Amino acid sequence: KLGHPSELPPEPVPNYEGDEEFLRRLHHVLLEVEVLEGALQCPDSGRRFPISKGVPNMLLTEDEA
Amino acid sequence: PPHRPGLLKMSSAEPGRFFCTAGRGLEPFLAREPLGRVRLMFSSEVDCVSGKVFFRAAAGPGELRKLRSGERLFLLLKRHSPLPVSGSRGKMLHEIKSLVIEEPKYWLDIISVWRRLHRHEGKADDVSQENTLALKRKSEGETNTASKKQKMEQVRAIVSEECQVEAGERCVLPERMSGQECWTESKTSSEFPSKGSVENPAANEKLSFSFRESCRCSGVIAKILTSQEIGRAIGIALVKQCGWRADLRDPDLEIFVHLSDIHSVVGIPLFRLPLANREYIKTAGLRSTVAWAMASLAEISAGALVLDPMCGLGTILLEAAKEWPEACYWGADISDSQLEGADGNIRTAGLMDKIELLKASVKALPLPSESFDSVISDIPFGKKFRITKDAQLLPDILQEMKRVLRVGGTIVLLLSQDLRKRVEGLTKCAGNDSPEATADGDSEAASAKAPSVHGNSSSLAHGVGESFLSSRHFGSLVPDGVYAVSLGKTDAFIHKYRKVSAAGN
Repeated sequence: KLGHPSELPPEPVPNYEGDEEFLRRLHHVLLEVEVLEGALQCPDSGRRFPISKGVPNMLLTEDEA
Repeated sequence: PPHRPGLLKMSSAEPGRFFCTAGRGLEPFLAREPLGRVRLMFSSEVDCVSGKVFFRAAAGPGELRKLRSGERLFLLLKRHSPLPVSGSRGKMLHEIKSLVIEEPKYWLDIISVWRRLHRHEGKADDVSQENTLALKRKSEGETNTASKKQKMEQVRAIVSEECQVEAGERCVLPERMSGQECWTESKTSSEFPSKGSVENPAANEKLSFSFRESCRCSGVIAKILTSQEIGRAIGIALVKQCGWRADLRDPDLEIFVHLSDIHSVVGIPLFRLPLANREYIKTAGLRSTVAWAMASLAEISAGALVLDPMCGLGTILLEAAKEWPEACYWGADISDSQLEGADGNIRTAGLMDKIELLKASVKALPLPSESFDSVISDIPFGKKFRITKDAQLLPDILQEMKRVLRVGGTIVLLLSQDLRKRVEGLTKCAGNDSPEATADGDSEAASAKAPSVHGNSSSLAHGVGESFLSSRHFGSLVPDGVYAVSLGKTDAFIHKYRKVSAAGN
């Protein structure tokens, strides 16, 4: 979820390797977009790590470590 | 003294003779450069006492500038046996002067060689053909040494005045005699000679070649003569012989003389700034030469993942990413200001697609186990940094570094004398299955989780050695080299380790 219209489907479609448009958008999101302000979310725990000035803050609390 | 026609020809086919100064301990790294980048042939002599590496190279300044572990690069003019030490200072000064006194043609040849090397730098344009003629004219005339000295002092005074007058311009007045590295940044080279001539009555002063003499002496000679005295003597000799003008601020040429117990060396620096000043680093942290040396030990191959978990301003990552761009670099730090500095450095260097930054603690890295090929870090030494408890946290730090490293991967650390003793104690147990270490049992393992620093290093080794042995799935660290290096004011040690699996190699 990048909050801007990247128009990516929630899951890769079958035969996505051949879908040029999809690949281009994926490449853009993976390699060309830099998140300056936002958050990373752990898919398992849901824990959010804020991103500020392009750097994610992943300092763990006393309990988490 | 005879000419060296081989040196003076400097055709593209023929190698030139150079020498490079290096921080103490970095000479072997310099001798091993350039890893295929520049065709260098090193002579067998490496002067380790005064930290110089002599070599021949069929390469231009553009290529030589890429040397990464050297301090300053010089064109070698002379290398003689050490100056004979006699009771007579006058005799010694005379010997020293004879090092630089040559027929005018010798110096003209040197200048043309040097200018040819620097054609691309643009500075050479200021010194026109007329100057070389003026050089000949001047040297033929007899001049009073005392008045020359006076004029030199005048020029010096003019220089300091003008430095203050020129507003908005960064001007650093370098020390004259003490082998300093500092050059001015100001670019008024075309203006200055004419300004100088306004003060000076002699008409052809305007056209004369300017120089700065930089002298360093060490060993027995330093006990009898000071660098200042020698520098002055050489300066006067050059002015008298060649009719040159002393210019401290922006000389056409700098002559470097080093007298030690091993040899007498005369050279001309190739560049204004030390090689260690990287144009791609905005804010320097660790000395770039040491950072490069550390990265060169890590065995970074294409596709490697490299981590600096205490990256600070990112110097190590920057040096590594510049030299080995086909790898992925990660940096972590707990300090916002350091990370901002690192981010600025990365952007300035244009390495944003190569280096990722995380705000994270080295004691609890948010990274998967065995995910990195190399961990390289300069461990803060305590006095300079706020983090004074680092020594006590060392076992946790090492544990995390080891955890994220894959088997066969390398760890390269920069440690102070104090820290290295602790680290050696910690890693020593890893390789050995000494009965004393294993006999202690669970109580030791439990206490190892919250280690405190004991005065007795061996008890520390026992306590934490246990945790290293018992965490079998993290493997162990095997030492793979120690390199003592100088950081200027202090000494430090580069330690390399390799991770082996618990069962063996």
